[in-house]
Amino acid sequence: MNKFLQIIFAGFIFFSSSVLHALEVIEILGGKASQIPIAVMPFKSFGAQKAIGKINSVIKSDLSRSGLFYALDTRGVIAAPNSDKEVNFSQWKSLEAQFLIIGRIDFLKKEKVKVSWSLIDVYKQQTVLSGEYVGKEKQIRAIGHKVSDKVYERLTGSKGVFHTKIAFVEKYNNQKYKLNIADYDGYNITSLLDSKMPIISPKWSPDGKKIAYVSFEKEKPVIYIQEIATGKRKLLANFKGNNSAPAWSPDGKRLAIVLTYNTNSQIYLINADGSDVKRLIRSRSITTEPSWSPDGKEIYYTSNQGGGPQIYKFNLESSEVSRVTFEGKYNLYPSLSYDGKLLIYLTQDQGNFKVALQNLQSNQVLKLTKGPLDEAPVFAPNGHMVLFVYKDYGKTTKIGTVSINGLKIDPLPLGSRQVQEPAWGPIKN
Amino acid sequence: MKKSILLTALLGILVAGCSSTELQESQPLNPPQPELQSMLSDDNEGTAFTSPELNLLELRGNPLLAKDKRSIYFDFNKYVVKQEYMKIIQAHAKYLNEAPAANMKIQGYTDYRGSHEYNLSLGQKRSVAVKEALNSFGVDDSQIETVSYGKEYANLDCVEQNSCGEDRLADIVYTVE
Amino acid sequence: MKFFKLENNDELQANLFSFAIHLALFLVMIFSVGWQTKIPYYGEVEIWDSVPVQKKINKTQTTSNKKIKQQKKTTKVQKSNEAKAKAQKEADIKLKKKKAAEKKAAEKKAKKLKKQKAIKDLKKKVLKQEKLDKLKKEMLEKEKVERLQQQVIEQQKIEKMQAELRENELKQQKKPALEGENEVKGGVNTGELNKYKLLIQQKIQQNVNQQLCGLDYINLEFRISLMPTGELLGQPKMTKSSKIKSCDDAVERAIIQSQPLPLPKDSGLFSKLKNLELKFHPNGVE
Repeated sequence: MNKFLQIIFAGFIFFSSSVLHALEVIEILGGKASQIPIAVMPFKSFGAQKAIGKINSVIKSDLSRSGLFYALDTRGVIAAPNSDKEVNFSQWKSLEAQFLIIGRIDFLKKEKVKVSWSLIDVYKQQTVLSGEYVGKEKQIRAIGHKVSDKVYERLTGSKGVFHTKIAFVEKYNNQKYKLNIADYDGYNITSLLDSKMPIISPKWSPDGKKIAYVSFEKEKPVIYIQEIATGKRKLLANFKGNNSAPAWSPDGKRLAIVLTYNTNSQIYLINADGSDVKRLIRSRSITTEPSWSPDGKEIYYTSNQGGGPQIYKFNLESSEVSRVTFEGKYNLYPSLSYDGKLLIYLTQDQGNFKVALQNLQSNQVLKLTKGPLDEAPVFAPNGHMVLFVYKDYGKTTKIGTVSINGLKIDPLPLGSRQVQEPAWGPIKN
Repeated sequence: MKKSILLTALLGILVAGCSSTELQESQPLNPPQPELQSMLSDDNEGTAFTSPELNLLELRGNPLLAKDKRSIYFDFNKYVVKQEYMKIIQAHAKYLNEAPAANMKIQGYTDYRGSHEYNLSLGQKRSVAVKEALNSFGVDDSQIETVSYGKEYANLDCVEQNSCGEDRLADIVYTVE
Repeated sequence: MKFFKLENNDELQANLFSFAIHLALFLVMIFSVGWQTKIPYYGEVEIWDSVPVQKKINKTQTTSNKKIKQQKKTTKVQKSNEAKAKAQKEADIKLKKKKAAEKKAAEKKAKKLKKQKAIKDLKKKVLKQEKLDKLKKEMLEKEKVERLQQQVIEQQKIEKMQAELRENELKQQKKPALEGENEVKGGVNTGELNKYKLLIQQKIQQNVNQQLCGLDYINLEFRISLMPTGELLGQPKMTKSSKIKSCDDAVERAIIQSQPLPLPKDSGLFSKLKNLELKFHPNGVE
């Protein structure tokens, strides 16, 4: 009995003394935007020695483009691990890598490959994710993009966009135009339309199966919707005057378009089958470049009712109009992020055309690019990157990606093509 | 006697026909000329030289309607028709009023700076400005179509060549004479 | 027959008991091997029939519009300029050809010399590289050995420290509660304490990659234990999640990356900081 009481007493003392020694609290506010250092090792081939393109290069450039990762130079690293057991963690730590991607490619029959990969946490010294894909040899880039997506989702919590497609207009031979689609990184370009007259404003449908665009082939701007798989197209709008600036509603059932009749550019709504046109905004000024909010309740657009072009928004339920951009005298080409929290647009700043990023909650504006002749910025479907056109004062135009933390700008390898107005296709589930 | 009048009439029409096709060389599809039609039909009592047609010929001879004067130029980011063009516009208005079958298309253009769609709208503003000037001289909208090509034909080197002003215009084109 | 007859009850009990233990151990052996931590595996075996590349080129033929006229004008001017330029070019070309011929002869000579040099240099390079590789290997080996040695030393240190700490705690337990209060109030320099708290806060903050925490206000909390060297004792323990996994991971990484944390040499001060509660607000205030 005595012993029992002693234990209780000692326990009480211990408890009270530890309570008196209360924990110090440290509040840590904010942080620092940085790039996660990641090493992507070459995937070793088994079963054949064919040159099918370096999958680790695809993954490296995907992760780098996002601006959230810094892909380490792995040349000259002596130990190139191909399985989890081969990893020398202290070596990777000394190279300051936080994560490591390793893998292997097994060549199968009928020109197929099996790609196995692992994502390894260097600090915790464990594999956090792994997977396997089987596909045709020529799909090695697509497989690489899938791996990048999975790694990106695991480490950032956001969906990856490395598997998505883009569309853009190409002007060639000085007077001809093509509407092209390609992988988001500029590979695998195919043409949807070839024309002697200008093509502008290509826009992907939310399901990624169709593209709306404006063509001048009838010697005035008219709107077509073309099915990508079949090439079939339908004339959506050919009213008197201009027909332009198509913008799909988030549910894909309607489009906002700009018509003029015999007056100024005004925004209308039309069903995707071409029926039921109705006017949305009444204004004596220019109203154009409609862009839907992701909840389908508001339409952002450009208007010069304030003198120069500025961005406004129209509430479909209340018909209320409010101004969105206040910095600078020339703001246009609005594009909203998928969650409706961020807006990018083109702004003129001291004579230079730059891409601006605005937080719609705080209304803070950040210049993402420097110009001098940037144009046509559009959001990636996960809101983490922006696609835009830029040119030097020379005539070469380029399409490039810029990460929204501003840390990475990279051109697409489109050669010397004269390019305009890219559009970013949706995420495929 | 009648034969020679008929012959001269026919010759006169041929002459008129030649000059009118010249005015329309940019348009491939031409509806037939009112004057030619009236000549070809036997039911028509009148001769080639009736008053309205004579007036049209006269009007067409107006130097203000000359082809090289059908471009109205604008200042940067502006769509106000400058005073110096008003006489030309008035002449076109007169013609349109006298020739109710005539149809006009006004094509607006801009220089290359800015986005494609915004410039499409700006070009439209310019063609509308010309239309409104015509309206002020009594021309009805039914005879006018306004379109815009925005910056699609702009010269990308206009800044270096100091010629951006040449890209900011509205062109008058007759779709039906 | 006699064989099966049991001698006595005790023996039966003993036999059954040993059989039961054997069976139990046998079962334990089988089922205990089954446990293992599972890593999330994204396994997907896909066979793609065709990449969705579809192509239809739709050619449109239209006539040019009036603006083309203006462009024709400019091309005319361009053409006459081009003709002039052409004539000039032809004269230039002749001159160039002469010079080129002369150059070629000289270049041939220079090339030969270069080649010989290049071969020499390459040989040198290869030798150098081999030496470097050797050195690298040796260095890594050395580092490995050194690190292992260090680890052993540190391990010993840790054990020593832990032993000391335990002793200290036991000592304190024996003292009455009132004395403990005195130690907390008096004798500790709060200015110094705050200085170290600030240093720790700054070091960790620099490593918090708040890009992985979304855009909205968010907060999360961790508890850590430290050694006098500034290194973590064990893993950081999350006491409040941000509900965003990538954010939780990023903050945990930030804490680990911040080792060694700046800590005072004074053992009294250190004891106040050896267990900390860290509260994070990666996207700023609410």
